Amino acid sequence: MRSLYVRSFGSKLIWGLVSSFVIVVCVGLTAQTEETRMEIQTRNWEGRGIENGAVIFANNCATCHGQQGQGLQGVAPALNSRYFFTRRLGDVGQDGVMTLSNYVYLTVAAGRPSKDNSQWANRMVPWSSQFGGPLRGDQVVDVVAYVMNYEETALQQTASEDPFQPFLDVAKPPEFQNIGISADAEWTPVQLAVTSVLPMGDRDPDYLFGALACSGCHKLDEPQAPSSMGESGPNFGTIHELGTYRPEAAADPAAYIKESIVSPDAFRVESYDDAMPDDFASRMTEEEIDRLVQWLLDPDRVTHTRDAEGNIIDE
Amino acid sequence: MSVQSPAPQKKPWFLALLSALDGIFVYLTAGISTREFRAMLRGDAPGRPNTRLTPHADAFLLHIKPSYYHESVTRFTHTYRLGLLSTYLFLFETITGIILMIWYAPTPERAYVDMIRLLNNVPFGQLMRDLHRIGAELMVGIVTLHMVRTYLTGSYKPPREFTWLTGVLLLVITLFLSFSGYLLPWDQLAFWAVTIGTSMAEAVPPVFVGEIINLLARGAPDIGASGLLRFYLLHVLFLPLLLILFFFVHYYKVVLYGISLPAQEEEVGEDTANRVPANRRVYYLPEVLLDEGTFLLAVTAIITAVTVFLFQAPLEHIANPQQTPFHTVAPWYFYWLQGLLKIADKMWAGVIIPGVLLVMLMAIPYLDRNPSRRGADRRVATISGIVAGVLMIILSWMGTPAYAVQGAPALEVVEKLMPEEKVGISRKIGYKHIPLGTYDSREPITTDDAEFAKLLDEFVHLLEVWEEKAPDFNDPWGLLTVTQDQANLKLLRWEITWISNAGTEEYFKQDYWLHKDSYYWEQYGRKKFGVPEFLEMQNGG
Ligand code: HEM
Ligand code: HEM
Repeated sequence: MRSLYVRSFGSKLIWGLVSSFVIVVCVGLTAQTEETRMEIQTRNWEGRGIENGAVIFANNCATCHGQQGQGLQGVAPALNSRYFFTRRLGDVGQDGVMTLSNYVYLTVAAGRPSKDNSQWANRMVPWSSQFGGPLRGDQVVDVVAYVMNYEETALQQTASEDPFQPFLDVAKPPEFQNIGISADAEWTPVQLAVTSVLPMGDRDPDYLFGALACSGCHKLDEPQAPSSMGESGPNFGTIHELGTYRPEAAADPAAYIKESIVSPDAFRVESYDDAMPDDFASRMTEEEIDRLVQWLLDPDRVTHTRDAEGNIIDE
Repeated sequence: MSVQSPAPQKKPWFLALLSALDGIFVYLTAGISTREFRAMLRGDAPGRPNTRLTPHADAFLLHIKPSYYHESVTRFTHTYRLGLLSTYLFLFETITGIILMIWYAPTPERAYVDMIRLLNNVPFGQLMRDLHRIGAELMVGIVTLHMVRTYLTGSYKPPREFTWLTGVLLLVITLFLSFSGYLLPWDQLAFWAVTIGTSMAEAVPPVFVGEIINLLARGAPDIGASGLLRFYLLHVLFLPLLLILFFFVHYYKVVLYGISLPAQEEEVGEDTANRVPANRRVYYLPEVLLDEGTFLLAVTAIITAVTVFLFQAPLEHIANPQQTPFHTVAPWYFYWLQGLLKIADKMWAGVIIPGVLLVMLMAIPYLDRNPSRRGADRRVATISGIVAGVLMIILSWMGTPAYAVQGAPALEVVEKLMPEEKVGISRKIGYKHIPLGTYDSREPITTDDAEFAKLLDEFVHLLEVWEEKAPDFNDPWGLLTVTQDQANLKLLRWEITWISNAGTEEYFKQDYWLHKDSYYWEQYGRKKFGVPEFLEMQNGG
């Protein structure tokens, strides 16, 4: 084999010089493009943070705040909302005290300790592991970035498009919340009470399940099992098999379920607190309740997609 | 009373200055005068006595280098400079590593965030990280090649058995160094590779010993804050010190016995490396030094160029102990172990076989009693070496997900198109090439975007491939629904429906979000950070 050993002194020096030149050029090129690179990287990681946040939102928040952040009546406020991005901070007296992003961060991390003056069925739990919640610090940061990313669409909403429901916890009475909110004169709170849009009478069970906010605490597509207990209320994915979670009621599950709706405190599994409202009997007709119970026990139950007026919009 | 000092000799001031400068030069070079230096540059032969040897006696760094070599071992094709290169890469890693330490804190809360901060906000931060990473991969490879070369030239034979043995220890330390560094970015890739790695230690019998080893390495039953701290300390302190220690033992032996000559240079059974005839000496100063210097400069130039234009150290999602990735992979140099694990149980694959291999590797000089280092006399050794190498490559291939790991077909299809980590076709064509809409694999592809058409085409194709390949995956069809979830954020919903053998309809769904700015660099084949048009391109131009 011919040896590759370069004996010539001069050629070695030239090799050394060429190599040094290459190094200098590479480092120089890097130096020149560092600003752009750092900018691109910053945006890249912000973008990926929002992607991560989207997953966390879908898995943890969307059941109450809606897949599109539109909120759920009586369960949780809209986040994809112009009111939320323009007025909320002021209404809770934090304007100039903190940024909205910090406010969201605090709320997500520490939850809402009190239910006073609020119309929401449950208080929001702390999400950060720092306060005993299920999310790591970085996940809280990412989901906050995702929520804040609603800003662009939220600010384009007109008053009637804003899915927001007035909060009852603010200093000003809800009727006045709209004052000065924008140039849109017709900005008025849409619904004040926590009721369904459709009149009482013959509403479909799947509609009631959403409109009366059952869905905020009960998951329809997840089984209730020791390894998969619903967090705020039992899951209903397997309710038709189990019938009921109360052994002595096995003979007549429908009666028991009805009792649970009408007077939730009659029997309660210990791990759940008494978050379930006890006024459902006054918000549904007897017939509606019966149909709801049958629907829950139906293994092939259907849930329709509906618009804001309650009309079915899926095929 | 005054003391009469002898009158100082008058010298012109510039001569005095020159001789002072010469003195400094001699001082700095530990014994080379400027005159001698110029003679070196001219290529003059050394004088007698040879003053070029003084630095080898006086200077610390040079005293461990031999003052001359046998001409035959200075040929590139004898050692390929692999030992030198291993040493240099360690130095290279130490320097880049210490720089990285400035921005790195080894806690689960900070490690990953620090990585991102390093990439986002530190000028040259990404370069340093990429250099450290590429150097690490390279070092493992080069040290292994160095071992192969000393094996093939029979350089482990007496008197160099101990050199070989310390070499094997150095290889093990290098592997552990690289492996311990692997965890530090604290991403999914790192976390799960290290979880698999340390779980192998668990198989050490008896059970409680295995558990203790695992516990010691991880600092808790699972890797967490303590495990990260331990790996960090191993990585930046303990293992480097250990490597330095064994390197000096190794290198002392190399110098003591001299680098083995090419086998043809001496009689079988003889060792004449240290008896270099005067006419075949090549002095370290200046020839070999210049030679090594230019070689290392050239290597550095190549590493830098590759890093600047092509290479980027991976950084996946942050480590998530709750979420096992679709495919967990060890670093490539442990693929062979992962391959073994697929065909044998943990005890055999994780402990017994690697243990026996390691002992055998160390014992090679004592097992191979053939005194000849000539290729023609060592057919058995050469062939068994090659067989071992091929086996390693096959095992490594078996260690990759390509072999005998198969997820559910629907998952495999989506994983190809839009994987959990890395790019995949969807992220490769990127946000702007994925139009909103619903696309059904059973309907003809109608899209104006050629790139997107390719993606849909591949979707259809993959469904066909898996229908053929998987027994329980009949008549599959897929749906891709792209919606605008938020400003600059698209939601890609992949849905696959198929009929199982039992005749029931099965369904699989996977949601992935894609942000306009998220930059999966593989997208562009090479780094284009610097190109200003790139920014515009990203802005949707
Ligand atoms: C960090 C790892 C290592 C470093 C820094 C290192 C360094 C060196 C250096 C500088 C030499 C001088 C000659 C040459 O370049 O070939 C050498 C020789 C040698 N090394 Fe290594 N080495 C390492 C690992 C190994 C390994 C893994 C083995 C084998 C298992 C090994 C076995 C040997 C032997 C047998 C020699 C003598 C070669 C001869 O005399 O021809 N070394 N080593
Ligand atoms: C004293 C020497 C060294 C120091 C002080 C050091 C320090 C560090 C530090 C602070 C990190 C974390 C930064 C990061 O992950 O990018 C790191 C990562 C790493 N180190 Fe080292 N290191 C040294 C030597 C080595 C050596 C010799 C190897 C390989 C043989 C190695 C392989 C790695 C690897 C593979 C990573 C992960 C790189 C990445 O993905 O970013 N290091 N090292």
